[in-house]
Amino acid sequence: MKIGIYICHCGLNIAHVINMDILQDKIKNEFEDIEIVRDIQFMCSDTGQDAIIEDIKEHNIDRVLIAACSPKLHEKTFQQVIENAGVNPYLLEIVNIREQCSWVHKQHPEMATQKAFDQIKMGVAKLKNLEPLEVKKVPINRDILVIGGGVAGIEAALNLADAGYYVYMVEKEPSIGGKMALLNEVFPTNDCSICVLAPKMTEVSNHPNIELYTNSEITEITGSVGNFIVKGLKKPRYVSEDKCKGCIEECSSVCPVEISNPFDYGIGKIKAISMPFPQAVPQCAYINDEYCVGCGLCRQVCPADAVDYEQKEEEFFFNTGAVIVATGYNVFDASRKEEYGYSKYPDVITNMELERMINASGPTHGKVVVPSTRETPQKVAFIHCVGSRDETVGNPYCSKVCCMSAIKNAQLLKERHPEMDIRLHYIDIRASGEMYEEYYTNAQSMGIQFVRGKVAEIQEDNSGKPVLRYEDTLENNIFEETYDLVVLSVGLETNKDEKISSMLNLSTRSDGFYTVSHPKMRPVESNIDGVYIAGCASGPKEIQISIAQGSAAASKAMQLLSKGELETDPMSAFVDTDKCTGCGICQDVCKFGKIKLYDHKAEVDELSCHGCGSCSAACPEDAIYMRNQTDAQIHSQIEAALEVKDEFPLIVSFLCNWCSYACADLAGTSRIQYSTNIRVIRVMCAGRVDPEFVLTAFEKGADGVMVSGCRLGECHYVYGNYNAKQRMDVLKDVLEEIDINPNRLKVEWISASECNRFAESIENFVKELEKIGPIGSEILEAPNAEHTG
Amino acid sequence: MPESDLSEELKKTGVDILKCMQCGVCSGSCPSGRQMSLNIRKIIKKAYTNDKNILTDKDLWMCTTCYTCQERCPRGIKIVDGIYKIRTVAVREGTMLSEHRKVSHLLLETGHAVPINEETKQKREQLGLDSLPETVSKHPKALDDVKIILKSCKFDELVSKKE
Repeated sequence: MKIGIYICHCGLNIAHVINMDILQDKIKNEFEDIEIVRDIQFMCSDTGQDAIIEDIKEHNIDRVLIAACSPKLHEKTFQQVIENAGVNPYLLEIVNIREQCSWVHKQHPEMATQKAFDQIKMGVAKLKNLEPLEVKKVPINRDILVIGGGVAGIEAALNLADAGYYVYMVEKEPSIGGKMALLNEVFPTNDCSICVLAPKMTEVSNHPNIELYTNSEITEITGSVGNFIVKGLKKPRYVSEDKCKGCIEECSSVCPVEISNPFDYGIGKIKAISMPFPQAVPQCAYINDEYCVGCGLCRQVCPADAVDYEQKEEEFFFNTGAVIVATGYNVFDASRKEEYGYSKYPDVITNMELERMINASGPTHGKVVVPSTRETPQKVAFIHCVGSRDETVGNPYCSKVCCMSAIKNAQLLKERHPEMDIRLHYIDIRASGEMYEEYYTNAQSMGIQFVRGKVAEIQEDNSGKPVLRYEDTLENNIFEETYDLVVLSVGLETNKDEKISSMLNLSTRSDGFYTVSHPKMRPVESNIDGVYIAGCASGPKEIQISIAQGSAAASKAMQLLSKGELETDPMSAFVDTDKCTGCGICQDVCKFGKIKLYDHKAEVDELSCHGCGSCSAACPEDAIYMRNQTDAQIHSQIEAALEVKDEFPLIVSFLCNWCSYACADLAGTSRIQYSTNIRVIRVMCAGRVDPEFVLTAFEKGADGVMVSGCRLGECHYVYGNYNAKQRMDVLKDVLEEIDINPNRLKVEWISASECNRFAESIENFVKELEKIGPIGSEILEAPNAEHTG
Repeated sequence: MPESDLSEELKKTGVDILKCMQCGVCSGSCPSGRQMSLNIRKIIKKAYTNDKNILTDKDLWMCTTCYTCQERCPRGIKIVDGIYKIRTVAVREGTMLSEHRKVSHLLLETGHAVPINEETKQKREQLGLDSLPETVSKHPKALDDVKIILKSCKFDELVSKKE
């Protein structure tokens, strides 16, 4: 083993505080196996890089330690450098002596030099234990499954298909188009909804790169990123898609069975053989087998001989590399708000029913009528927030679109009937998209009235007209007002497709919608590699946002699949099958579902393992290794840090790569000064910290141990810090039992921006440890110390 | 007595009125509010802005605690539990309607908020019952105990008029 150590001056950034001569002398005197120690003015410069390459070639150096700025800046750079010189890029260790040393300990150059030496010593210890790693390339399937044929799914599928990817679209309804296909006109442009959507629906059905399964369900998805194995079931529609010409009049006019039309939200009637709506894709009738009496009339009249009562459900199979979940939403069931009497009072309807009435192809051919009288209403109330912003029905969230859709429908009514008295009962108007506020203002100018206050209840008067009871909170007065028609602006709810979420191992938020990787930074990525979420499946959204997300999800899928192969992350977990006892704890800990037991042995899906290390910390047999974050490497760092205790108190700290380590770096760039007492070990996640590491640190003489991860709820690996919290809570009890003051273990959840808090936390910890005294002092004082002498 | 912070007091009892969005479902639903000046929404608003006038506002005592508002509150605020708490604070700080004070004094004197009268006694006799029920009305020793209990709870101080 020939190690080369390179120390960067970074101009004076490092050398101004840390004494380079002393540092080099100490390294030369105290370390073995060191082939060369060199200091360089600016290591990241071309000359600095060349010097390393020359050394490697000349001295046959096979492992490199670089003491310089944060690895977050130049780890990749130097990996490239040593790889260019013929050394495996993973045989590199970077020691941070700038952000976490010279910049934060300016007033204490001697101790900063000592700390730099300790950190290098820890680095060397780890470096000796590093293993050469390889990035494996695995060929993958480039096809994509899109679940859901609403506007988000359609947009995703067309983007992908146009780019040359083969798409399987699976839609559970007999037509694609989703909810948008049922809307009349859409805000804020008042475009005819189906007019803008229908061409895209047709394009999906005609596209050579899209295979469309309607009236179908996914029954099983196995495999993982790059190779999902999909099974589905196409339910019979009893009409041949190949033969049906979509003339519909012929068959449905003879059908004797009349049922309420689910696509009209119950207000219209259709026959047992029907088409969901005139522009349905595919243009093919379907028979509702729940109601069909099998009289055979439709089969007799069908000119294309398309009716086929013998049709059976068909299974289908295919493999894809990625999945886009665009499963949409459900409309809130207004009958759950009993005080509004929906489904009891005929003239209380929902916004979706009104949409269908206004729609020229809807059940009333565009005429809006009072259901009980069939007459045009003179006075109409809209009630906002029905099933949204309402904890009594379990939906505390705002559904985002209902204010605007109520305003839109009010405008459409007012345009047709300027004399109509229209009032919108709202709590707050949410009109925060582009051109939305102007749209709202326009509604006001048209004479539509806005009444602030949520309607308390609806009763019927003697003539059966709905009476609204409410407080106008701006007037401070309670009113009872009679209307001809009341429209409930119902919210959006998750469609609770638990089968899809369990098949793909997707997690859901407390509101029931799917969780995305990061609500701001990764809006269409799920927690599972290769699975993307678009549209209302991840929460209520307007059409324009759903379309944008469909495109975004398509783009993410292309980014993943474009090369036709995936690189494994060499830092993933792997299982020593000899040690594994098949207890299955790791399987429970990995909330991404990337560890499965096969034949009583754990197996890691290395292609999609995120490398957090929670499984490794949980394994009671130490059978799961994190490559280049192994137990042996971390133990060697702990031991090196504590071999000579050069400070009191001495704190070993485990900082998670994403928040706490980044936060420590930020403290450096912000030049926030704190005590030199900590020795830092970078881990990918706080969840990687095995309680054994903490115990070892105390055993070897650490006065304190700090474990710091992202703030709870903000973990890069979603659940890792919760795993850590659980373990550290238990560990504190254990410490108490073995007479170590549990306050010697400090657990912090710090975001990458809270550098002041990070520094304060260290200062406070140092003070606290000064009070507690050196490790072991409490054992002398412990009650049972008398017995042990 | 220290100045009370109403929203803090309410929070302690698990009534988070700061969540209120002033939607008016409570006031619109209130059966008492139909007949009188009581506006439950305004009481809640005054409480969360710590407006002490609420403690001496007669409307505070108009609520019949029917719980309709609490059932319907979209933010899940325990409105009626809050009203109870505000009333507690009001009484502690010396505000009480004279009717309530009278009833409280009856309780102190007789052990009943509505003590038995001649008419009731006669009715009981007609029904073949003892003229007095098995309560403190019949057992003067028990009434003494009740009085001791009320006194040790400082109920007498609480309901006596404060200057």
